[in-house]
Amino acid sequence: MKTEEIRSTIDYSVPVPPPVPVNANTVIKAINLKKIYNGVAVLNIPEITIKNGESFGLVGNNGAGKTTFFRLILDLIEASSGEVRIDGEKVARRDDWKSKVGSFLDESFLIDFLTPEEYFNFTGKVYGKSEGDIAAFLESMKEFFNGEIIGSKKLIRDLSKGNQKKTGIAAALLPCPQILILDEPFTALDPTSQIRLKRMLNELKTTQNMTMLISSHDLNHVTEVCDRIVVLEKGLTVRDIHTTEDTLKELESYFAV
Amino acid sequence: MYTQFFKHHWLKSLRAPGYYKNLIVNIFMGLSVLYFLVIFVLLGFTMPKILAEAAPHLDPAYTFNGGMIFVIVLALLIRFLFQPLSTVNLQSYQVLPIKRSKLVNYLLLKPLLNPANYLTLSFAIPFAITGINPAYGIGGAFRFIIIVIFIVWFTTLFATFLKRKFGSNILGIIAFLAIIAGVVALEYFKIFSIFEMSQRVFGFLIENPIGWILVLGLSVVAFVLNKWFFAQNYYPENFDKKTAKKQVETRNFTFMERFGKIGEIISLEMKLVLRHKRTKNVLYLLPIFLFYGLLFYPESMSQSSGALMFIAIFITGAAMIMFGQWIINWDGSYFDFLMTRNIDTRTYIRANFYALLALNFMSFIITTPYFLFGTHIIINHLVAFLYNVGVNTHIYLFGATFNTKRLDLSQRSAMNMQGVSYKNFLIIIPLLVVPMGLIGIFSLFDAKNIALIILALLGLGGIFFWRQLLKITEKQFLKRKYALCEGFRKKE
Repeated sequence: MKTEEIRSTIDYSVPVPPPVPVNANTVIKAINLKKIYNGVAVLNIPEITIKNGESFGLVGNNGAGKTTFFRLILDLIEASSGEVRIDGEKVARRDDWKSKVGSFLDESFLIDFLTPEEYFNFTGKVYGKSEGDIAAFLESMKEFFNGEIIGSKKLIRDLSKGNQKKTGIAAALLPCPQILILDEPFTALDPTSQIRLKRMLNELKTTQNMTMLISSHDLNHVTEVCDRIVVLEKGLTVRDIHTTEDTLKELESYFAV
Repeated sequence: MYTQFFKHHWLKSLRAPGYYKNLIVNIFMGLSVLYFLVIFVLLGFTMPKILAEAAPHLDPAYTFNGGMIFVIVLALLIRFLFQPLSTVNLQSYQVLPIKRSKLVNYLLLKPLLNPANYLTLSFAIPFAITGINPAYGIGGAFRFIIIVIFIVWFTTLFATFLKRKFGSNILGIIAFLAIIAGVVALEYFKIFSIFEMSQRVFGFLIENPIGWILVLGLSVVAFVLNKWFFAQNYYPENFDKKTAKKQVETRNFTFMERFGKIGEIISLEMKLVLRHKRTKNVLYLLPIFLFYGLLFYPESMSQSSGALMFIAIFITGAAMIMFGQWIINWDGSYFDFLMTRNIDTRTYIRANFYALLALNFMSFIITTPYFLFGTHIIINHLVAFLYNVGVNTHIYLFGATFNTKRLDLSQRSAMNMQGVSYKNFLIIIPLLVVPMGLIGIFSLFDAKNIALIILALLGLGGIFFWRQLLKITEKQFLKRKYALCEGFRKKE
């Protein structure tokens, strides 16, 4: 078989979920959100709303404020001014939102001296899941884990970067959250896992109407997964695009300086 | 090349975040070094007198020679246990065109340049003047000093070799102690005297003009052994435990999981203690602290009541005092995770509070045999226990919100000041000094019992109002949350 023929026999396509209805509820709302470090505003968002079921992509060069924005939503840093609300309730110094949000930003979301099983178990128990729920969830993750993470008896700190990332993403998904926040989920993953992750995210969107916030440096990936893309530059939102077939080109031309 | 390595090493320590912040800790360390320096010098001058009293029929120099072998073995043991292995970030240098032998030489010889290793000289020089000079003359005294330097080299190099070869294997330490016990037994039953052998060997080394060459030879042998080890284990993964991957025995604390989220968090912390070097070392040291009372209680009548209260608080709260210093802080490496999961602040604070309580109960129960030393000890321990549970747990938990330094638990524990700030020392004041002072002051007026009652009431108050006190800590925690998050994200 020629390469072309092999290509045509494998399904690389990622199923595209239906668009978000216009009248969907707002789940995340940020007003006058500002974060200032040493007199420099690293994030300055007058207003942004994210609707229920929306998949929200965040792109921008290093230092644009992507992680800062996510940390503000997750109440890990204090806003210099303004606020973030989830389902109409303030996030800062509150606990209610935590049951609705699954997140994975970086390695400080991993408990590195546990095995992946213990880590999933702990996360699950904290969300009130039974052993059965957790086992069923891990079963559904089998393909994504590619037979490497469960049963290896390794501590998370001894896993490869890619497998650590998979572990973190899975733990974010474990409680079936209403809102999912992932910071650069595709980096460090192998190509197969990247495709599987994209498929998984789109499936979750279709079946569970999950709201997703995903940042990425790979424009291909975000345009495939997200139906809305926001470009940050030096803390400001410079583009807010509803994804169409031309979006990738538009983004590429924006970043090609 | 070597100067470059030293420059990097210097820059690394100078640019470590928290170097300046840690100034107070460094000053504290400097003062204790100065203290030891003075003690050593004094000891060096008075040693001949002490030895003459201990063994009147022998010249002090000969007695000292006899004990020399034991000193060396002890030095080896202490170094084996406490001396950190010097490391460079090998991998980042290995890919550069630098000869491996250069790297290895640097790695091995670096500790020899550490001034702390020559603290011994502050004892050796005065002793050479007052002890060796009368017996062996000036030449002997000089040779003695040189031999001491070479012995320092030998113990440093040989201990590193043993450590690299055998790791911090507990079995190795036990075997070592068994050998020592055997030697002591031989000496005691007069079968074979190591003491006399040591006396002859070291006497010869000092007397003979070329004796020092033999000792230098020993250090060279130790150096060659190290080189051989590196030649055998060419790749860093073979000797660098951090890059080595291993399977783990997973233990589950299923009994804790019955207590819901709080139980989950506490069982997580138990795993944390058992899977990190630094916490495990403290766990092994704990029994020694629990035995602390045996040093003082047999003559408790001659001790001041303030000191006795200090000991009572220290041993009935030993586990809490040792582990409590890290509470909240030790969650640092996954703090963002905990703060974004479905764990409300109240649950998190309570879990930590219960952990401290459990540690308190544990040490109190283990130390109940001390009750045999008399009624005054029983009263002291009960009061100390109340104070620990009612006051000290809350102080620790409240104080923990101020310590924003990221702890690295994978490092060794002994003399490890990483993640320690002056705040850790400040907290000692309400923890130990206040009760001790209170008792001390009241005993001056022969009213020790009033102080005991005050302490007990403080403890009972804390126990009675624990919910309110935790509420205050919760508020404080929420206030400090962002500072903690930010501090814990900074790796040293």
